[in-house]
Amino acid sequence: MKNIFIISWYTLREAFARKVFIFFAAISLIFIIGLAIVFSLLNTDSIISGMNPSDNKMVLAEIITKIQLAITAPLSNLCLLLAIFSSSSFIPVMLEKGNIDLLLSKPISRTQLLYGKYLGGTLVVFLNIAFLIIGAWIIISLKFSYWNFNFPLVIFVITFTFAVLYSIVVLCGILFRSSVPGMMLAYFIFLILSPALIFIKLQLQTWSGKELLKGVVDGLYYIIPKTSELMGTINLNVGQGKFISDFQPVLSSFLFLILIMFFCDYLLKRKDF
Amino acid sequence: MNAVEITNISKTYTSSFRKNKVDALVDLNISVPAGSVFGLLGPNGAGKTTLIKILLSICFPTSGTAKILNEDTDNYKLKYRIGYLPENHKFPSYLSGGDVLRYFGRLSGLEGLSLDNKIDELLELVKMTQWKKLKVKGYSKGMMQRLGIAQALINDPELIFLDEPTDGVDPIGRKEIRDILSELKLQNKTVFLNSHLLSEVEMVSDRVAILNKGKLIREGTVKELTEKKHEYSLELENNLDGEVYLNLASHYNFAQIKDGRYTALVSDTMELNKLIDALRAQEASIKEIIQKKSTLEEMFINLINEADKKNNL
Repeated sequence: MKNIFIISWYTLREAFARKVFIFFAAISLIFIIGLAIVFSLLNTDSIISGMNPSDNKMVLAEIITKIQLAITAPLSNLCLLLAIFSSSSFIPVMLEKGNIDLLLSKPISRTQLLYGKYLGGTLVVFLNIAFLIIGAWIIISLKFSYWNFNFPLVIFVITFTFAVLYSIVVLCGILFRSSVPGMMLAYFIFLILSPALIFIKLQLQTWSGKELLKGVVDGLYYIIPKTSELMGTINLNVGQGKFISDFQPVLSSFLFLILIMFFCDYLLKRKDF
Repeated sequence: MNAVEITNISKTYTSSFRKNKVDALVDLNISVPAGSVFGLLGPNGAGKTTLIKILLSICFPTSGTAKILNEDTDNYKLKYRIGYLPENHKFPSYLSGGDVLRYFGRLSGLEGLSLDNKIDELLELVKMTQWKKLKVKGYSKGMMQRLGIAQALINDPELIFLDEPTDGVDPIGRKEIRDILSELKLQNKTVFLNSHLLSEVEMVSDRVAILNKGKLIREGTVKELTEKKHEYSLELENNLDGEVYLNLASHYNFAQIKDGRYTALVSDTMELNKLIDALRAQEASIKEIIQKKSTLEEMFINLINEADKKNNL
């Protein structure tokens, strides 16, 4: 465990050194400052009274939470894309000749090395997302004088979504010792495959017949991580403090993550350097 | 006791499409006595680095077994007792020299004051104290080598693998590295040295093994390998009389090199003694008889050429 912590800590330092961390933080800071400026110029009272003429506190809370999510959701998605881009090289760099030889000559197992690097990459993204979400949350809460303590929990949902996609990046990094294939595959799943599968699945429900196609789509739907749902409905429910009625997207994505990481471990343990 | 025991190790690299096979190591058997400096020599592509990597479980053998310090090589905890300087190593460029040693020291189980003291001690040893706080991206090749040696020694290992330790180091630096190796030997540590610089290997190694195309072609002490078994140099008080000289030269492989100095190529010790008897019978006064030696470099080149000729036949 100590070795995993050491590798994670130095991955964090690597991210700092590569300016990845600072670049992220700068984008988040610009957004937070921009939000503060926009809010200081807007008369939010008239907006809210327009949306909630009855001045019902429950409705007010929901409106504010939705404003928070509407503001942070696009940026969270952008941050996720940037996170994949910036963390994709951690594993290929570690596996470079001269780097890996030194690491494997120390009393650290390949499994510890893998999980240390994986957790380090995830920690970098967690800190960045936390900075953005908490910053936005404080600005919005101060402006509306309403503190939705469920909202910061979306940090964990976004980080979890990243962790699932990052497992794919790690797998490709081990297989190809390059950051590009993993990055492309993660983007493909996040931007195209996951949204497309849920869309096709919903469409197929209304069609009769086509059992084979339904089977294929269903199979793919359950295998591929459900990043669209995680960043969509799950994020929304968590942010609003609502009960999550269907844990399937979380559980199946988590299972995917576990399987991919086990496979990464299996491959790394057998790889010649 | 042997610090390293290699038994029938073979390594075959297969290309991605399984068409081309390259035998990097072929049925290798080597033993390295504990407390010795062992030099592994061979031309580029001989399999020297592959062998070290197998011993450190950085890559895996196709067949055969190896033991280090009486333990199986696949036990990663064994590395608490091992140090390694890889060829063309890369340190995290964002770290300073001191931080690099801290990083690898922590991975080796050191921490706190003992690690701080060890870092200072090693930087002093490799004469890098003044560069402790400089980021390694600003280091020269020689400085990187020195730091590499320091990181290999961070855990006070019993066995140290050094792959081209003097690569890129100036002559003074090389001398300092040789001194470090001698000091390690005095501390009864085992050093497994892989180098192209044969003169250096000759100076520090107790035993030497020569690899060519993955095969062990010679192993022994430096003395054993460099001795020219049946060639002697003789120095006499005076030149031999012309007739006596011609007579001896017709019976033995015996020739004059310069005034008072002769060379003799004999088939065995008995023939050498017969030659001495013949010289003494002519009342020649013998000042010295020295068995001729070649340098490790001459021997190495001859061996590799012979091996290549055999392979081409």
